[in-house]
Amino acid sequence: MGTRFLLITAATALALASGRGHAHHSFAVHYDSSKPTTKEGVVTEFRFTNPHGILMLDVTNARGEKERWTVETTSPTYMRRSGWTRDMIKAGDHVIVDGWAARDGSRLMRIRTVKRPDGTTIGGRQEAGDQ
Amino acid sequence: MSVRPRHGLLVPRVFLGAVALVAAAVVSLPASSATPNLEGFWWPGRAAADSRMPELTSKLPAKGAAIRDLGAPSRTGGNFGELDVKEAARAAAMKWNPMDEETVANVCKPPSIIYGMPGPFPFEIYQSDKLIVFRLEYYDQVRVVFLDGRSHPGSDYPHTTVGHSIGRWEGDTLVVDTTHLASSTMMGNGLRHSDDVHLVERFRLTPDGKNMHWTQDVEDPQVLNNHGIRYSVMERRKGNNIPYECDPSYGQSIQQRGGQEPAATERK
Repeated sequence: MGTRFLLITAATALALASGRGHAHHSFAVHYDSSKPTTKEGVVTEFRFTNPHGILMLDVTNARGEKERWTVETTSPTYMRRSGWTRDMIKAGDHVIVDGWAARDGSRLMRIRTVKRPDGTTIGGRQEAGDQ
Repeated sequence: MSVRPRHGLLVPRVFLGAVALVAAAVVSLPASSATPNLEGFWWPGRAAADSRMPELTSKLPAKGAAIRDLGAPSRTGGNFGELDVKEAARAAAMKWNPMDEETVANVCKPPSIIYGMPGPFPFEIYQSDKLIVFRLEYYDQVRVVFLDGRSHPGSDYPHTTVGHSIGRWEGDTLVVDTTHLASSTMMGNGLRHSDDVHLVERFRLTPDGKNMHWTQDVEDPQVLNNHGIRYSVMERRKGNNIPYECDPSYGQSIQQRGGQEPAATERK
């Protein structure tokens, strides 16, 4: 094994990082994984489509006002593998969404779990990744 | 030889045209038993640094720098890690606004394979002596790698997200050389490779055939003074791709961000 080979291999080992964890629609751009948030409300729409699913939620705030929230899921191709289907949530469903808040403070959040009022979890848990 | 791979893949209708062409070639050109069998469903995996294959790392350029995912700060701060980025490319990247990507017009445009293929999505491989086909779950993209000795086409040939790929076997390593990639994001933070980028990939199975290690060597003199490199590992699993079929309305939802809709705030 030559010196050049050793140098290249050592340099490469230091330089190489995993190519994983990124994707076109980045979690990190919009969401802060250190800002957990929970919202409870009534679903007005659920789109189980790529690149990411969208759940529209009407939430009544502390002042009694109704707010429309956009709740983003991970990629439905990943969700399907964790047990989700497109008809698990329907307009009119009352749900409690736990996840991460948007960096910009807008009414946008990313899903970790979705539960019904009786505590039943819908589908599988989602992680703070870029899938 | 059957065109149906051992993992029982079902081909979605959207790819029937492209896959039919490939399937015809696969039927007539069975893979040699002497070459490694890469065929199957491959899931993104991870490998410890000490498990990386010298057969692959030794072929990477000495001046190579990792194309890293550097997290949120890199999205807006012009942090490109060890990549030596030319000034014009750096200046263009600094003007990038991630929200420009999240529009109805742009959200379903796939990135090129330089960024898209190492992402967290699986792919399928079909293999014959003269063709290898990668079906990516991410944006339903299909790559055809010609092993029949042909050259790359001329510069007028269309540039696309998958480019034009020719391959060869170097022992047990598949070497894929790709040109004609249309300019696209390189690391998700505004830095784009040019239309003249040259990608060399090497794919090699672990001795037990359960994993496939894979490197990207990105050469783009218009953008980089050094080479960008990635090392990825895939795990062979049972299963198949799930159709992606992107829905552009996602872009509208993100732009509006729910609360900004006119009727979003109403007195109860």
